[in-house]
Amino acid sequence: MKILSKEDFSAFVNALIEDDSMNVEGVISKGEKFVFGPLDSADDLRLDYDVTILPPKKYFLPQYETMMTFDLAEGKVAKPAVTKKTVIIGIHPYDLGAIQQMDKYFLDTNVDDNYLQKRKNTVLIGLMPVNVSEKAFYGNFVQAMGGPPEAAFDLMLTVNGDNIAVIAGSDVGGSLLDKANVRDATLEEVEKVQSMQQEIFRKATRDLNVNPKGWYDLLAKNYGSDVWAEQAEKCLACGTCTLVCPTCFCYDVTDEVNLDVSTGERKRTWDGCLLRDFTKVGTGEIFREKKEDRYRHRFNRKGRYLPDNLDFLACVGCGRCATQCVPDIADPVELFNMLAETTTEPIEESTRPLWAGPVDIAGAPDGDFLYIPRSATLKRVEKLTDRETLFEIALDDGKPLGHQPGQFVEVSIMGTGEAPISVSSAPGGDTFETVVRKVGDVTSKLHKMQPGDKIGIRGPFGTGFDVEALKGKNLLFIGGGLGVVPMRSLYNHVLNNRGEFGDVTILYGCKEPCELLFSEEIKTWKDRSDFRHLLTVDSCTEDEGWEGDIGVVGTLIPKVEFDPKNTTAIVVGPPIFYRFVIADLTKTGMPEENIIVSLERRMKCGVGKCGHCQINGVYVCKEGPVFNYKEIKDQPEAFE
Amino acid sequence: MKPKIAFFDFASCEGCQLQIANLEESVIDVVGLVDIVAFREVMKEASDDYDIAIVEGSIARPIDVERLKKIRENASILIAFGTCAHLGGIQRLSNQWTPQENKEEVYGRHEGAEHTGDDNPFFEQPRHRALDEVVDVDYVIPGCPVNREEVGKVLVAILTGKKPPIPDYPVCVECKKKENVCMFEIGKFCMGPLARAGCGAPCPTAGNECEGCRGFVSDPHVKAHTEVLAKYGLTADDIMRRKNMFTYRYIEKSKGGE
Repeated sequence: MKILSKEDFSAFVNALIEDDSMNVEGVISKGEKFVFGPLDSADDLRLDYDVTILPPKKYFLPQYETMMTFDLAEGKVAKPAVTKKTVIIGIHPYDLGAIQQMDKYFLDTNVDDNYLQKRKNTVLIGLMPVNVSEKAFYGNFVQAMGGPPEAAFDLMLTVNGDNIAVIAGSDVGGSLLDKANVRDATLEEVEKVQSMQQEIFRKATRDLNVNPKGWYDLLAKNYGSDVWAEQAEKCLACGTCTLVCPTCFCYDVTDEVNLDVSTGERKRTWDGCLLRDFTKVGTGEIFREKKEDRYRHRFNRKGRYLPDNLDFLACVGCGRCATQCVPDIADPVELFNMLAETTTEPIEESTRPLWAGPVDIAGAPDGDFLYIPRSATLKRVEKLTDRETLFEIALDDGKPLGHQPGQFVEVSIMGTGEAPISVSSAPGGDTFETVVRKVGDVTSKLHKMQPGDKIGIRGPFGTGFDVEALKGKNLLFIGGGLGVVPMRSLYNHVLNNRGEFGDVTILYGCKEPCELLFSEEIKTWKDRSDFRHLLTVDSCTEDEGWEGDIGVVGTLIPKVEFDPKNTTAIVVGPPIFYRFVIADLTKTGMPEENIIVSLERRMKCGVGKCGHCQINGVYVCKEGPVFNYKEIKDQPEAFE
Repeated sequence: MKPKIAFFDFASCEGCQLQIANLEESVIDVVGLVDIVAFREVMKEASDDYDIAIVEGSIARPIDVERLKKIRENASILIAFGTCAHLGGIQRLSNQWTPQENKEEVYGRHEGAEHTGDDNPFFEQPRHRALDEVVDVDYVIPGCPVNREEVGKVLVAILTGKKPPIPDYPVCVECKKKENVCMFEIGKFCMGPLARAGCGAPCPTAGNECEGCRGFVSDPHVKAHTEVLAKYGLTADDIMRRKNMFTYRYIEKSKGGE
């Protein structure tokens, strides 16, 4: 531990400010509140702040961040400029804890290059709080963990009367101090600083009636509690609790074209699960529309879903949500106390670490650049129905897509945006096919394109059908509407390799005859006797010449013979369809583990970062879209 | 060929058009994208040959209805420009009284007054309506006044075949991203939680409460907001009065009015 006088500390900070090779940011006042902002002088630095309005996450995941720039006229896409080195002065321990969680989130798998670049280029100077905000409860976590957790920082400051005590936590931090007028701390000073730290953590506690280690179980036991609806009744759905949270990382992505109608940027910006459109997909469906469901999701994401996925509790007790929620319903302390009050069963304490430990940033490998699409060319464009068109696509690098059946790609049209689209062709081959319904900006644009036009492709993403596991099995395909698009990638593989599978039956239904997809291909099935197929429409008029059945697709199930115990059903259709078809199947005695589904959600990023596609804690873009029904059915949001 | 744009105004202060006239250097970019063929605030010439009509103002009198219908016939795209066109504007508050009451209030009712305008069609004081209550509207650019950057974005979106990017989340989202001190924390009445974002929260950023000039999001939590205001000591009457300013259209709708 080193000691500087306050004057020498100011000189040290001013020297950093004068160094043009870095930006220096620190805590400054804004009205009666505090913010992290550019520091013009050491005099502006408020070492006595209690909490800032926004956490320092804004330096690594900015409110608005350029992910790439493009020039439509030249067909070019480029990475954003590398950011200047930034020194952030005054980060409290709870925010350092939150940064470690962010590190884990963005660097765990699918390393986010945009994040890593900024993170590597930042020097973190921590600060022990001098004052504690009224709603803060990080002390409760420190108590529950039996002491302050291991934190990564370059320097750590503690204000001790007229002096500042400094601990270097890295070589970068140590070398910064080279220029400062420091002396070694005395033993007394070391002890004093340690006792001050304990005192601050003691002050930062509130009357929390349930140990944070029990939050996980408390949430699990209270998923159906009335508390959610009662509290959500007061919710403004303004998104504040998530926006100000240091451990909320969800973002949306938009393309912005400049007034020259050629250059522009693909940007990401903070999004939040409390906002209604968070789960809205291109077809207009909103998967978590009820405000109580959104309200519950936030707490569960913090207390259950992120712990399940990444092993940390996504709350650090900063109290920002509690302070800034206008109707006063976002406070975790009050919510968990409320849940505890109505829970009679004993609460189990989790053995997981509460906060994430440090991630080795300096030693982190270069990021996977996750977001820049690969250039691709439309090879064939075939209108299938009024709304759906088939596109055959080749990647311009000449490589095959290399997908499994059931996976999806992100189709990118620069200046317009990106949309997740199922791959519809069987694996193999130099090109792949998708079928796209015209519903939003990207798909409408795509529908206007011609063979030879360029698009962008990311992926393939997600977990598809496990072809190996299906070998030798009897297969019953049940497709509804657009569900046949991803399903085709599997049944065409099966039909091409017919000998490897048992009995095969394909049931396919759509609303009207004119909506039938792949009708030409289906006509050729008549010539094959090695599998059965039945088609149905919900309704049709006599003049449409429909030869198939009439009625919803479930009505076809009793018309085919199959041994439910020894058949695997592959069920893909619109959200409403699953409940009925699965009920029809289980009625035949088919075990739940024999049913495989593919679920649609808002897969905005495709790489498990943006947060939109979650079914409870399950990332559809990574763990799905293909799921075994038995494994996904207990997620309450799966078939709601 | 560049699309031709024409500006029109009805009952309004014309301040939204002024925002475009004020675009200064970037007006060159906008003019580069399109041909402006009618714009009373900045040019003398006017043409009836246009593709995109940008219409400011609320629709009040029968002669306005006729004129707007003509514009709709001429334009392939019609944009409601600003709060008056989008919602009916502040003047819509006059719909609370009868046309006769309004006329007397405005043009005099005291004994011996020369006239109350009964014989002049320009003095008609009927209901104020938004454009989409009279004709089909393709796009809305909300705001009092409109946000210049957003106007640029909407035009670029239309020209590049995208849906204009008008958000459907509350102003709070943009306000938080700007790291403003919450208006409620300094004891101010704020419509931010109900109001549609897209403006970039300029009012709270400058220390003034949001007045909801862009209208509500599609699922506004009005009841929760009213409870918050009551908690801050505002009476039901205050709340209604403040909430009405730009958004009387919604109140009228909930009353089962026009």
